[in-house]
Amino acid sequence: MSSSVEKATTMRLYLTCIRNTLEAAMCLQNFPCQEVERHNKPEVEMKTSPELLLNPVMICRNEAEKCLIETSINSLRISLKVKQADELENILAKKFLRFLSMRAEAFQVLRRKPVQGYDISFLISNFHCEEMQKQRLIDFIVQFMEDIDKEINELKMSVNTRGRLVATEFLKQFV
Amino acid sequence: MMGCFGLDGDRSRRLKSGFFERSSPALQQILLQLLQDQNPVDIDHHLYEFGSVEYRVQTSASDPENIYLSISTPILTPRTLVSQGLCPYTIQKVKDISPDVVDILHPAREGYQLTLQLKPAHIPQGKAGAKIIKEIAAVASVILSSQLKEMLRNFSSEDAPEGTYKPIKCVYHPREPLFVNRQPQKITVIFPMRFKDTSDVVIATSFFQELMDIGSSEAFSKAPACTWSPIPPPELRGELMEDLSTNAGFVSFDIFSRHVDDKRLDKTVWNLLNFYNYVKSYIKSTKGFIQRKMRGRLEDLVKILHKPDLDEDDHEQKIRGCGWKIKPVSSSRFRKHYGDFKRKIKRMKYRIRIHGFSELNKKIKRIHHQIKNRNFGLRSQWFSTPKFHSANRYTRLE
Repeated sequence: MSSSVEKATTMRLYLTCIRNTLEAAMCLQNFPCQEVERHNKPEVEMKTSPELLLNPVMICRNEAEKCLIETSINSLRISLKVKQADELENILAKKFLRFLSMRAEAFQVLRRKPVQGYDISFLISNFHCEEMQKQRLIDFIVQFMEDIDKEINELKMSVNTRGRLVATEFLKQFV
Repeated sequence: MMGCFGLDGDRSRRLKSGFFERSSPALQQILLQLLQDQNPVDIDHHLYEFGSVEYRVQTSASDPENIYLSISTPILTPRTLVSQGLCPYTIQKVKDISPDVVDILHPAREGYQLTLQLKPAHIPQGKAGAKIIKEIAAVASVILSSQLKEMLRNFSSEDAPEGTYKPIKCVYHPREPLFVNRQPQKITVIFPMRFKDTSDVVIATSFFQELMDIGSSEAFSKAPACTWSPIPPPELRGELMEDLSTNAGFVSFDIFSRHVDDKRLDKTVWNLLNFYNYVKSYIKSTKGFIQRKMRGRLEDLVKILHKPDLDEDDHEQKIRGCGWKIKPVSSSRFRKHYGDFKRKIKRMKYRIRIHGFSELNKKIKRIHHQIKNRNFGLRSQWFSTPKFHSANRYTRLE
């Protein structure tokens, strides 16, 4: 009981830290590309001008769970590594995050391919901030992280429960 | 049974009939169609199903009274083979279907273990006919299970010499062999489990663990003891390396004499033969379940991002007002209230009269008159209205 409370507390602290960092980092403005005329590209992806990039921030809950926030003048990239305690959680997390990445157009801010070493990445530009509002985007990221954890735990429990039921049915045939 | 696989009724029925029912649904349908057809035609059907079972159905327009059904099944083990490739139990079972309808051809067609000559004219109409067709369509399962049944039936026979309990490899499907190891007290059936996909391995492994846990519970003490191990069990020591290399471990069932008595033998054999298919079906349905769950969650996550803005709602509320209204008053009610108010003011203006005191009343009248005159003078003096000039005043140009 106490371990679950502790887990919830550390999770809340981790999410609060991410929220505060995002609130500070998400000060994006329109900035045309310095290299190509009449182009507007996310500088966090292009990395053509080092003066437009800020120091990346990494927030770690533990070795398996971390979040990388890379900021530039007109865009922000958030990469997440999700907890995978055992093989089943690993498979479920991979399946779920791949499923979401393949439907990235539904989210607008989701990157189709995660940054190397992470499970899922988001790319937020100044246009996204203008269109969807900063606060809502931050809420979404934090909610997303909470839901992913919850969903993977629920899926794991459901798969194990189904397995138990099917095993029971199989053995019933012998009795 | 399939309900717990998370399948809807129709699909579960189809899957059940496809994998776990003894009669082949496709063969059953073809035979029923042939019986219904009035005009004889030349037909040569080839069907492949259930691992490596092959059926061939032949009819000829020149010989409309006979249908030839040839069946080829994988041979589990050469030890069970007897003359003509079939054990007497199978031949007896086939003959028991209906002696008038089914005849066994000797020798069987080339490449097949068994060829049956069916006489459609002798098949009765209605339910009895459908039952016979169903039994004919289940002959392949009889052949398949008979081989393992023979092995399990000789449980108590002491044909194996003491101390040498070498496992027998049964190749029911080329990729899915199983081992039967006879020991004095029990028979151990071992399934080396292999899957192509990594996710299949993980789902199957979790299932095997559950199977082991459930099997060791008191409720299933009568069921065959089930064990799962990621490494080859000691019974398989000395077997070929290719048989021992698996990615999902080994599942073993310990079969005791009570599991293979006359009542339970058939069921036990069929369940063991279908174990691979059972696991595969579970993996497939679990993947479908996970997919459905993920789709639901995707919708929820998208909703968070596209939900209507709360600030906008508040602003709209402010524009609309705080919610209270002035109640409209009817004109008659207003007139009544206004009349009362007017009368009160008038009464206040009247001078005071006291009944029975005429002298006093006269005095009061006089004083009132004097006050009135003074007030008028004061009012005219004090309340002289100042003259204001409009700022927009203009002078006409001449």
